[in-house]
Amino acid sequence: MTAPVLEVDDLRVQLRTPRGTAHVVNGLSYSVGPGETVAVVGESGSGKSVSVLALLGLLPQRVATVSGRALLQGEDLLSMPPERLRQVRGPGAGMVFQDPMTSLNPVLTVGRQIVEGLRAHADVNAAAARRRAAELLGEVGLPDPERALDRYPHELSGGMRQRVVIAIALSNSPALLIADEATTALDVTVQAQIIDLVERLQTDHGTGVIWITHDLGVVAGIADRVLVMYGGRCVEDGTVDDVLERPAHPYTRGLLGSLPDLAAPVGPGGEVPDLTTVPGLPPPPTDLPAGCVFWPRCPVRGDARCETEQPPLVQVGSGRSGHFGRELPHRAATWCSEEVR
Amino acid sequence: MSDVLVSARGLEVHFPVRSVGLRRTGGGVLRAVDGVDLDIHRGETVGLVGESGCGKSTLGNALLRLVPPTGGRITFDGSDVTALDRRGLKEMRRRAGMVFQDPFASLDPRRTVAQTVAEPLEVHKLRSGRRERAARVGELLEMVGLDPAVASRYPHEFSGGQRQRVGIARALAGEPDFLVCDEAIASLDVSVQAQVLNLLRRLQRQLGLTLLFISHDLSAVRHLSDRIAVMYLGRVVEVGPAATVASDPQMPYTQALLSAVPVPHPARERARQRIVLRGDVPSPSAVPSGCRFRTRCPYVFEPCPDVDPALQPAGAPGQLAACHLHGVVGIPVADDTPEGVTTTPTS
Amino acid sequence: MTGQPLPEPAPSPTATDAGIPSTQRAARPRWRETLGLLARNPAAAVSGALLLLIVLVAVFDEALAPTGPNEISVEDRLQPPSLEHPFGTDDLGRDIFSRVILGAAVSLRVGFLAVAVALVIGSLIGLLAGFYGRWVDDVLMRIMDMLFAFPAVLLAIAVLAVRGPGSGNTALAIGIVYIPVFARVTRASVLGVREEVYVRASRSVGASDLRLLTRHVLPNAAPPIIVQTSISLAFAVLAEAALSFLGLGTQPPNPSWGLMLAEGRGFIDIAWWLAFFPGMAIFLTVLCFNLLGDGLRDVLDPRQRTLMAGGAR
Repeated sequence: MTAPVLEVDDLRVQLRTPRGTAHVVNGLSYSVGPGETVAVVGESGSGKSVSVLALLGLLPQRVATVSGRALLQGEDLLSMPPERLRQVRGPGAGMVFQDPMTSLNPVLTVGRQIVEGLRAHADVNAAAARRRAAELLGEVGLPDPERALDRYPHELSGGMRQRVVIAIALSNSPALLIADEATTALDVTVQAQIIDLVERLQTDHGTGVIWITHDLGVVAGIADRVLVMYGGRCVEDGTVDDVLERPAHPYTRGLLGSLPDLAAPVGPGGEVPDLTTVPGLPPPPTDLPAGCVFWPRCPVRGDARCETEQPPLVQVGSGRSGHFGRELPHRAATWCSEEVR
Repeated sequence: MSDVLVSARGLEVHFPVRSVGLRRTGGGVLRAVDGVDLDIHRGETVGLVGESGCGKSTLGNALLRLVPPTGGRITFDGSDVTALDRRGLKEMRRRAGMVFQDPFASLDPRRTVAQTVAEPLEVHKLRSGRRERAARVGELLEMVGLDPAVASRYPHEFSGGQRQRVGIARALAGEPDFLVCDEAIASLDVSVQAQVLNLLRRLQRQLGLTLLFISHDLSAVRHLSDRIAVMYLGRVVEVGPAATVASDPQMPYTQALLSAVPVPHPARERARQRIVLRGDVPSPSAVPSGCRFRTRCPYVFEPCPDVDPALQPAGAPGQLAACHLHGVVGIPVADDTPEGVTTTPTS
Repeated sequence: MTGQPLPEPAPSPTATDAGIPSTQRAARPRWRETLGLLARNPAAAVSGALLLLIVLVAVFDEALAPTGPNEISVEDRLQPPSLEHPFGTDDLGRDIFSRVILGAAVSLRVGFLAVAVALVIGSLIGLLAGFYGRWVDDVLMRIMDMLFAFPAVLLAIAVLAVRGPGSGNTALAIGIVYIPVFARVTRASVLGVREEVYVRASRSVGASDLRLLTRHVLPNAAPPIIVQTSISLAFAVLAEAALSFLGLGTQPPNPSWGLMLAEGRGFIDIAWWLAFFPGMAIFLTVLCFNLLGDGLRDVLDPRQRTLMAGGAR
């Protein structure tokens, strides 16, 4: 059994906002093994992005209060001095965001940006760094990497830019790669290429991946484990098969039901049935319900405790052992897992 | 009265590309829409899919003359849209509404929901009197699932899904026959997307609307549409009944596009066979000769570089594909250099 | 205070499909919200209050002034400030306090008139140039460039030379000088708004150009123009003072701050109060207009607006 790359324990994030204190992440615990992909799924406002920004100390300290523990290869990211955190960010954890333009500097060539990343964390001379940069661009599938080094970000297509960002994220062979909606802005064909790329690099380097997305299709393809977030809490987690094929939480079920299916059976009149929707909106993080976070929108509400008592995250299915010999229980935070089944 | 409500024939929208430098000569042409043939029948929903930059949004805008077409013909209910005078255009815009992608940008931040929704009523003088207009606004808001009491509020007080409902209410205010939804669900959350999809379908049935649903999301298009049209590089390359296009595509591009869509079922997803295309989409200012898909097509053969394929019957009834695999039909590429292009001898 | 945007409505089981509960307080009008926010910027609030006071003084000038503007009293010549004459008297024994009050009317009237001329003509030109673009833009803005390239004082002097001195003509001259400023500010703002989706959306329902311009483009392009108006008022008051100082503006014996400054110059070493009090009046007014302009700039920026609404909680 190998030690996990990342172990998050009871992560909590509060943001001071004009509307009061927002409880954005409320007690999140999970771990990512080497070579493992954990998908964090949720809608906007579920806290999925904030939870990883908090790990890397990327939230503005003025407004954010972060507590809990997050061990990256045994070192606690949350109690680390800022200088150490900066050192760790490159080689320890790389990050890829939704919009590649926000992570690339428009006035520097692609090559320069990769070289800077390399030289910030390793003692290499300029020529060697440039050679390595070209290698990296080749590795992420950019045609003619030598020439691409001298290009500016705006000269590349969206897919190519995202490859460059991935190359930068991978330039220091991090143990952990965090992809935050990394393919959301891309076309499906390009998305498929990027996913392939990450999967290949992951197999080659044994990188642990946190893949944040709202796209359950992508999750089904890429994830080993899934963590469904709602209202800043993990409402369900388990292997990708457990969560997507046998969802136990009413929210997960609602989310899956609201997806149109490309291969849906057609009725006699050429009719496709209506989508089942989750009515209403997620609760504002400044004003979370007292009981189950999903209660106000829940179609089940099968238990008296729903409205008043927070359901704990408990095992709902038989645990199974996944890769790396770890127990991968299927858990859900709901009083109603029986009714849902 | 014809069964076809909106029709495009050889529709072109070309934008001049200004070259760098003082001399404006030598600038190329960006072929955003480049010879589109499309018929939209009364009461049906046509889904228009394609990747970013394929011209699907430009096509939607051109059909309503929000972008001026540079060639070809558009007819709306029998009349030539490109030849409409001011009054005719105004009336057409009452009869054809549009829902935009970004619900945060498409509502004027300084106007209340009521003012926004009432705009078509005022422009077309559809309801006289303040009270009647207010009643109609309330009716419209209710129709899209909003509480009429929100009419006096400003857009910034609403979530994305709610704003999109306001946008739909505005588009419906003129009692249109035709509604263009341009990526109307793209910036919404998954569960909200489903709400809006259901709403659009309900409205389409309730009001007998003809719908053009433009989206890059194939699953959503398949869900909502009766027919699907697939665009590639400014051209409709396949069109047909939604179920057949989705399950049995005839054009290699459609096949590749569909095969790239991930499905939210792990077992099916693992079994999914993907067709990976070579390279990137060519620039719309340098469209390949002959078949525009030939640079990436896995099946290229003899006629592809020379003959621009026309849409022709392929697969199921009602299905058309622009592909030589279904017989060589199209316009041969002229051998001689077109006028105005000078070639420099390579010596 | 309840200046901030409404919170996201909390979904309740009885909510409609879209999750909006039916009981919601009505939105506050925008201008009241703007005033509320402005009140929280101390510099802008004090400036606004002071300007209001100055305007009131200018309006009720004759009722407020203890003496007439041109009441000469030879025995009271060059009196330093005292209880009887708070700002002292000038070389003809006229009460400076009264003249500063009466001068406020002259200076402000010229300032407001000048800015009104520039605002109306300049904004219209900028609006048309920005909205229609192409040749309209080229023609209008090249004319503005020419006007702009002319040295401002020379241009004003030329206008006054043609039309003769006097406060009305001074206002016109200053107004013409500021037309290109407003044209440019408006055009820049309109260029941004013109491309907004909501303008296209409004076009898509059949709205005419006139409607687009008046209902959507102008209101959304207005904030920088409002700020420019406030700052221009400061410059116009200064310009009036400068022109009067040069003898081209308001003609003696009428009191205008600039003119009083000019007249007091000769006595600066023996009777400082002659120039000091009109100078202070100019300084205060200009400062207030500038601070108010800065405050408005912050308040009218939607992003700033959200921040400030929260920050002041």
